[in-house]
Amino acid sequence: MREELLSVGIDMGTSTTQLVLSKLHIENMASSFTVPRIVITDKEVVFRSDICFTPMLEDNRIDAQKIKAFVEEQYEKAGIKKDEIQTGAVIITGETARKENANEVLLTLSGFAGDFVVATAGPDLESIISAKGAGAHTYSKEHSTRIVNIDIGGGTSNLALFSSADLIDTGCLDIGGRLIKLDQQTHQITYIAPKIKQLIDLKGLGLSLGQRVTPDDLQPVVQEMVHLLEESVGIRPQSEFYNTIVTNKGLKLDRPIPCISFSGGVADYIYNEATGDVFQYGDVGILLGRAIAESPLFGQMTIVRSVETIRATVVGAGSHTTEISGSTITYTEESFPLKNVPILKLAWSDEEGSEQHLAKAISDKLNWFKLNNDLQRVAVAIEGKKNLSFQEVQKYARGLHAGMAELIEREYPLIIIVRHDMAKVLGQTLYALLNYEKDVVCIDSVLVDNGDYIDIGKPIANGKVLPVVIKTLVFN
Amino acid sequence: MNEKDLKSMIESILADMVGDKVKETAQAPQVAATPQPVTTAPAQPVASATVVSDEILDDITEIDLRKLLLVEDPEDREGYLKMKEKTPARLGVGRAGTRYKTITSLRFRADHAAAQDAVFSYVSEEFIKEMNLVPVQTLCVDKDQYITRPDLGRQFSDETIATIKANTQNKAKVQIMVGDGLSSAAIEANLRNIIPAITQGLKMYGLETGNILFVKHCRVPAMDVIGDVTEADVVCLLVGERPGLVTAESMSAYIAYKPTVGMPEARRSVISNIHSGGTPAVEAGAHIAEMIKNMLERKASGIDLKN
Repeated sequence: MREELLSVGIDMGTSTTQLVLSKLHIENMASSFTVPRIVITDKEVVFRSDICFTPMLEDNRIDAQKIKAFVEEQYEKAGIKKDEIQTGAVIITGETARKENANEVLLTLSGFAGDFVVATAGPDLESIISAKGAGAHTYSKEHSTRIVNIDIGGGTSNLALFSSADLIDTGCLDIGGRLIKLDQQTHQITYIAPKIKQLIDLKGLGLSLGQRVTPDDLQPVVQEMVHLLEESVGIRPQSEFYNTIVTNKGLKLDRPIPCISFSGGVADYIYNEATGDVFQYGDVGILLGRAIAESPLFGQMTIVRSVETIRATVVGAGSHTTEISGSTITYTEESFPLKNVPILKLAWSDEEGSEQHLAKAISDKLNWFKLNNDLQRVAVAIEGKKNLSFQEVQKYARGLHAGMAELIEREYPLIIIVRHDMAKVLGQTLYALLNYEKDVVCIDSVLVDNGDYIDIGKPIANGKVLPVVIKTLVFN
Repeated sequence: MNEKDLKSMIESILADMVGDKVKETAQAPQVAATPQPVTTAPAQPVASATVVSDEILDDITEIDLRKLLLVEDPEDREGYLKMKEKTPARLGVGRAGTRYKTITSLRFRADHAAAQDAVFSYVSEEFIKEMNLVPVQTLCVDKDQYITRPDLGRQFSDETIATIKANTQNKAKVQIMVGDGLSSAAIEANLRNIIPAITQGLKMYGLETGNILFVKHCRVPAMDVIGDVTEADVVCLLVGERPGLVTAESMSAYIAYKPTVGMPEARRSVISNIHSGGTPAVEAGAHIAEMIKNMLERKASGIDLKN
């Protein structure tokens, strides 16, 4: 059995917007003599769109209509219809995510770009997606090593640290190629981002709007930006300004990181020598790329060439956001996709005790999800056990049943996400406790945490598995 | 062939499978104590007086081999352990000179012994009673005959067939049976968890299960006879798998739609590797229930079900 999923990735970044179409190949890797094990065996990018500048309206809002027209045009070029798309992600990245109408744009596209395409953004997820698109997590797995990928775009540098394919940490800095813009003809500075302005003032570099500059004039500030990047990966002691430049958080640096890769638009000028005018894009991207190539980042760390540079995020969004649930699961509900369901992940201490303890923990924590006393739809996530007895399954089911009483009253199905392989029996046990009257969706082998949201798509592989996308939303 | 001969025959087959060890023992017979009781030289008298202690040695089979790395000063401990996580193979056992370390040697023999025990022991009568199974047996009279005469392990006496008929519902939708097969340990380890998971799952699909048979000295095709005798639509046999050095507690479920004596093997569906390190018994049970439902719906099993 082989099956294909057509997945779309759309990335709206600070400076550019692009789209890719990927095919995810799905196969049952287990022998015929055991329970199925369905996995994504291959990810193949089948179409890469043109790269356009992210269209902006005059009041600094994203032009949703232009984006929509761009997407339509690219679909036509690729020769596909939007209803052929089964999964994927629309991601608004970098500074763009902070625009007022970002959410509205996502909604416009979400309805447009296929049935199970999700709207998602946020620096953590962006770091992970771009690093996967760049191939860093594959490299860490194949070489059994630790690697940090820095995705340097127009407005932000997103860091993700992987160790043997496991994600260790993410971080984000306000460093990018378009934080200083200048006029291509006159070479006058037209824009300096606030944090970079602070940096210039702090270091007394004396650059200001309207000033006519040469590459040499900009070298000191670009050098400061590179220093901050060196600090972010632990090869230079952290300065006071480091905490200011961090967008939300930096990497925790408890162990040295041997390898580094780069993606994002600036990466092209790190790996390759630029030809022609360094101000051809009217920004400092090329200068930043060159300075990184000459910095200790290159001398002290093993440089890994990324498989994608400027397209890393969009390829990551198209190829690396969809996961497959475990292959023995329970669902009695048929109205997929379920979208944007927030996750309530219980602490291990909640699970260890009696069923009453579990029930109380769930009902207490469900209060977090109440808005004006109204309970939203929530998916309850537990760790579960690796090899448990039928009694233990029943204990879990009774605890969940009692704890989710308030959710049971709602019309939507009960959604349970377990880490260990036990979802089929747990789902069946719960369904029995509910007298087969209330729908249950119980999936396993999916890692989630508090603060995550989950989308669950229509069953694939003869109904054996459900595709899921785990995401973190910055909105709300 | 008596039990001793049989044991030593199996032992030598197993020893062949780990050729290195055989070579080792052959090169240094004075050091390696041969495991075969039949060839062991008389034990040498112990020089000092024996002291009897109440202490109990640690059970070395309790050690999780996947987490045990015996290589001294490995270049990349984390990477090695990560690799070991993915396989039950005895990787990273280190060495003492050109040999295994003592612990590796002992563990190998302990696992080997557990495998043998699983074959030669019986499922206890209390267990059969506790699980409320209806005990019957094939034409084999003992384990030796069971091992050497596979044909007898799939046949029943007329009397036994009468017992089966009397204790089962005729033309049931589902008939579950349990067989000791080559591992009684597998049955005792998994049955308590898998039976309630199967029955609960079947109930969800509106299917009832009647009495469950327990067949002593059972070969897989015994289920075909049960199919003919009970005329059940689906027969599900839970049977102990041939034990290996990874686990002696692995169980399989063989399931067939209207099995009948002489049918092609391709009509059986199999879920194997049900044990604590493989598919958990409860999860397998839930899966089996769904599989049975699909067979009833599509009136097919085995390869026919896949097409």
